[in-house]
Amino acid sequence: MEGKVIVMTSGKGGVGKTTVTASVGAALALQGKRVAIVDMDIGLRNLDVVMGLENRIVFNVVDLIQGRCKLKQAAIKDRRIDNLFLIPASQSDDKDVIKPENMVWLTNKLRKEYDFTLLDCPAGIEHGFKNSIAAADEAIVICTPDVSAVRDADRVIGLLYARSITPKLVVNRISPKMVENGDMLSHDDIVDVLSIDLVGLVEMDDQVVVSSNTGVPLVTNRESKAGMAFQRIAMRLNGQPDLPIENPMVQRGFWRTIGKKLGRRNKDAK
Amino acid sequence: MNTTDEHLVKLKGVGDSLWLSVDATRSLEALQNAIIPAFERLGQLAVNARVIIDSSPSEECDQVIETLGPFLKERFRVKEVSKPPADKKTVSKARIRHQDVGNAWHHYRSEALVIAGRVRSGQKIEAKKHLVIMGDLNPGAEAVAGGDILILGTLSGKAQAGKPDNETAIIMALQFRPTQVQIGGIVAAGISSGESGAPEIACVENQAIVVCDYLKDNPFKRLTWPEVR
Repeated sequence: MEGKVIVMTSGKGGVGKTTVTASVGAALALQGKRVAIVDMDIGLRNLDVVMGLENRIVFNVVDLIQGRCKLKQAAIKDRRIDNLFLIPASQSDDKDVIKPENMVWLTNKLRKEYDFTLLDCPAGIEHGFKNSIAAADEAIVICTPDVSAVRDADRVIGLLYARSITPKLVVNRISPKMVENGDMLSHDDIVDVLSIDLVGLVEMDDQVVVSSNTGVPLVTNRESKAGMAFQRIAMRLNGQPDLPIENPMVQRGFWRTIGKKLGRRNKDAK
Repeated sequence: MNTTDEHLVKLKGVGDSLWLSVDATRSLEALQNAIIPAFERLGQLAVNARVIIDSSPSEECDQVIETLGPFLKERFRVKEVSKPPADKKTVSKARIRHQDVGNAWHHYRSEALVIAGRVRSGQKIEAKKHLVIMGDLNPGAEAVAGGDILILGTLSGKAQAGKPDNETAIIMALQFRPTQVQIGGIVAAGISSGESGAPEIACVENQAIVVCDYLKDNPFKRLTWPEVR
């Protein structure tokens, strides 16, 4: 059976595409699948740093497409996880060197070798985005609870639908406390506007920064809430689509909950 | 042909007929003499033609047709000879109004563009006249119409009704939270409707856009007759 090619996109920059791609890729590999992660951000690569593989890069995706190396030479094996491979972006080339037809050729090659190919799409909806979605089977749209991110995600969803790709949604960086206080959009508000299937909710987590800087996969850290959320996203992509979605909640002690309930009751009585 | 004959008759083509103006005060013979050269110039074109005779004192028209009709049919083989059509009757305004009310919409061809689905950021829907969207208009999306805009869902994008200068147009949405609305040339930015949840309607009053509750202050309730928009 041929593997799946999934593009991770968002439109807006800085919403966590690279982190989600690296983490979901690692989680899929830990679940026993062969996974390739392709950095499509030609000229501004950083997935190699997030995965801690920056000192092993010899060839990159442009070399592979232009025939200067073979797939096995360009795919860098992860240090910790066996089935995980990275095909890095070129740092020196211009983004116009890759064309959509090159991507179709590349993904056909990757489908034969890997169960999952995750494409880390650059921000924006220009050349890099068009290349990334040219050969994708599925798309995951990553969105943070910001009005601007929602608007950009909406635009991207429209463009994906125009290419007959049905996207799924990951809401990243949810702060349950802010949502509860009404200072942040809730994931219900976002789903209401975007109206696509939700595949995961990821809580704001300081561990993400530590993991990105050290190159240690977040999903191996069982303490990290975001890491566990990525594990569940990977399970939903990997044959368990009905796994219930956990809503990030504010952790509250027993007495505080009781107190809050009593307080509310008093307020109602007034 | 002398000059007096020229003034006796005038022949011109009108629609699918020949329009013959004659001076009925002159004798039949004089008229016939004037007609003959004019019809001979037509040659074959006169065969099977419809001739309308317009006599200058119009009361004598019937009499002229009676005399000239058989002559023209026999000599030039025209198909029929008739009077000029009567002027169109003027219908009273009250009657038009009555007809409008009675069956206007039965024969009215729709000029509305009806769209089902969600209009996403970056998408723009343009309609020549009215626009109906059965779905939501997301932030960053745009709806432009020459007439009214009705959104059976949430309006959170930009809506421009009555483009370019129809200030009688309206914008209605079940949830009215636009980033900007324009009606005709009037712009209102960022209307905060305060989450009323009720359907709301925007229209122009005193050169400004006002938004009101559609169920409570529907401006069309005041109309005496149902109207086609």
